[in-house]
Amino acid sequence: MEGTGENKMAVYLDNAATTHPRPKAVYQAVLHALEEVGASPGRASHRLAREASAIVMRAREKIARLLDISGPNRVIFTKNATESINIALKGWLRPGDRVVISGMEHNSVVRPLRRLSESGVIVEIVPCSSSGQLDMSILRRSLDPPPRLVAITHASNVNGALQPVSEVAALCAERSVPLLLDGAQTAGVQPIFVEGWKLGMFACSGHKGLLGPPGVGILYIRPDLDVPALMEGGTGSRSEEAVQPQCCPDRYESGTPNLPGIAGLAAGVDFIFERGLDAIREHELKLAEILESGLAEMPGVKIYRPEARGTGAVSFTVDRLNPGDVGAILDETFDIAVRTGLHCAPLAHETLGALPEGTIRVSPGYATTREEVDYFLRSLETLLALRRRGDPKRDKKDRNA
Amino acid sequence: MLPDDAMDESVGKEEVSPVPVWIYEKRGQGVERTQWVIREKPVTLYVNGREIVTLLCAGHHLDELAAGFMHAEGFLEKPSDLEKLTVDEEAGKVEVTTRTDPVVAERLWMKRTITSGCGKGSLFYYSLDALLSKPVEGSLRISPGHVLARVEDLNHLSETYRRTHGVHNTVLATAEEVLLFRDDIGRHNAVDMIVGHVFLRGVSLEDKLLITTGRLTSEILIKAAKVRIPVLISRNTATTLAIELARSLNITLIGYVRGGKFTVYSGKERILDSGSDTAQGN
Repeated sequence: MEGTGENKMAVYLDNAATTHPRPKAVYQAVLHALEEVGASPGRASHRLAREASAIVMRAREKIARLLDISGPNRVIFTKNATESINIALKGWLRPGDRVVISGMEHNSVVRPLRRLSESGVIVEIVPCSSSGQLDMSILRRSLDPPPRLVAITHASNVNGALQPVSEVAALCAERSVPLLLDGAQTAGVQPIFVEGWKLGMFACSGHKGLLGPPGVGILYIRPDLDVPALMEGGTGSRSEEAVQPQCCPDRYESGTPNLPGIAGLAAGVDFIFERGLDAIREHELKLAEILESGLAEMPGVKIYRPEARGTGAVSFTVDRLNPGDVGAILDETFDIAVRTGLHCAPLAHETLGALPEGTIRVSPGYATTREEVDYFLRSLETLLALRRRGDPKRDKKDRNA
Repeated sequence: MLPDDAMDESVGKEEVSPVPVWIYEKRGQGVERTQWVIREKPVTLYVNGREIVTLLCAGHHLDELAAGFMHAEGFLEKPSDLEKLTVDEEAGKVEVTTRTDPVVAERLWMKRTITSGCGKGSLFYYSLDALLSKPVEGSLRISPGHVLARVEDLNHLSETYRRTHGVHNTVLATAEEVLLFRDDIGRHNAVDMIVGHVFLRGVSLEDKLLITTGRLTSEILIKAAKVRIPVLISRNTATTLAIELARSLNITLIGYVRGGKFTVYSGKERILDSGSDTAQGN
């Protein structure tokens, strides 16, 4: 590329929204499930249906292994993390119940709770620091008397801020308060111990860190929690009864499952086992560090750094320039894909002080290279240099150069 | 300061032609008359051999028009970027050669900014405008008397307007005097000529006023912001988007300067209290 001294390249830096590209095996597994298998799992006894059922069961087993869940049947497939969270919140909370959340929550938590608050659920927000770190002393106080539920995000989708889950989980366990953990950003990146932490419920998506295709979400509900489902229907089990089966996962999986999506997700989890969770995390965190260091060198750029970083998502703003404009210009000029705006998390932006315009979010993934991150930094600097034209300070600096 | 000949250069360059016309009133027959009409001419701008845009203009001061347009739109960052500027009046072509390729401006030229609806969106329609427009700094202050006097100066300057009523007039001024006058069939062109004139001479605009006869729309406001003009004045009124942008970009926007009065839409802090006719600048 002329402006940056190299050829233009297409760079995808929106992995916090969804991973791209996915491992080749994911595409192959999706195609295999559709083309070679094709049948509906758990609905018939013919060979293809049995094979489809085996694909789904193997996927449950792999996910259970990755997330520290002892019984694969406790792994519930939904259509996405948002549906998983909706089942958890709307199934567990009743009018008059109190629920405690953090100030960094996504709209997948905020919006269902807003709806529930209209029917008498009391929502208490524990503030976070301006970098997105949960205030543990306030959280402790909010647990007395014990609320019906605590729901927190593991890591922010805005700036990657990692919450001290094991500490929060221990506090909740001491008071017998179920903890709903939103692992949409961390599953496949951070170690997750669903049973080790004694989580009440866990929700995540299959298409971000787990590298699967969109259309599959995951939900875990601890066996002792009686959480009604949001939907009833055909499950391929106890069909003679009009009442929905109460066993897991059938209770929550009405209708034909997304076989290609689940097959692709299983291939994504296989890839994580092969490459190693630690290696993936270190790679993404290293790229985030390079991004933050590079951005810190640029005048007029504000970085929304977390105290503890859990993912590669880096958020920043440019002085007096709308984030949407920055994203459009990066896309149009340098073919760089970043996410801009509020990232469906206005509460987190309020905490970080980035309302109403939001931020520019750069989120490298497992497939992002150092070269791509450097290209992004050089491209942004090229844009900002043009914006600084005519600045007295810059002219003086240029003359001295 | 601009060179002494800055005002003289503007005189007598427009081409006007006598045209036979018929004048009608509500009742009665048409009366044949001869009217002076301004020339309209397409001029195509090229950068490093690549066609960028065709402007419809009166066909004069094409070097300034091209340089001003190129600077305002980000193709020319600073005077030293300009290697060569060749005007072919006959063919209606201006060729600009730059020392470094203006990649960003070329790729963003006329590209609309696309917002996702996730967060407060941009005020700008074009991405390039968003990138190049910054809040205007500077300590320029002017008195109401100066505003009225400079607009009065503008009203007396255009011989072509008096003959044709077919041009927009624009002046660059300090609080005390008019420095440069340009007119054209397009108000943007007249502004571009002024921008080009000062760009080619390396003069700062951050302590100047720009006075135009056109309406104060977002396009003219953005053009002023991109070259850092702190005060924009018109005999005409402003639009809502221009006012919103002016407030966001710290530009003093003054309209409807008539009958000894004017309206300040934005940037009132640059207007000195009554009784003071002394301008302050940086």
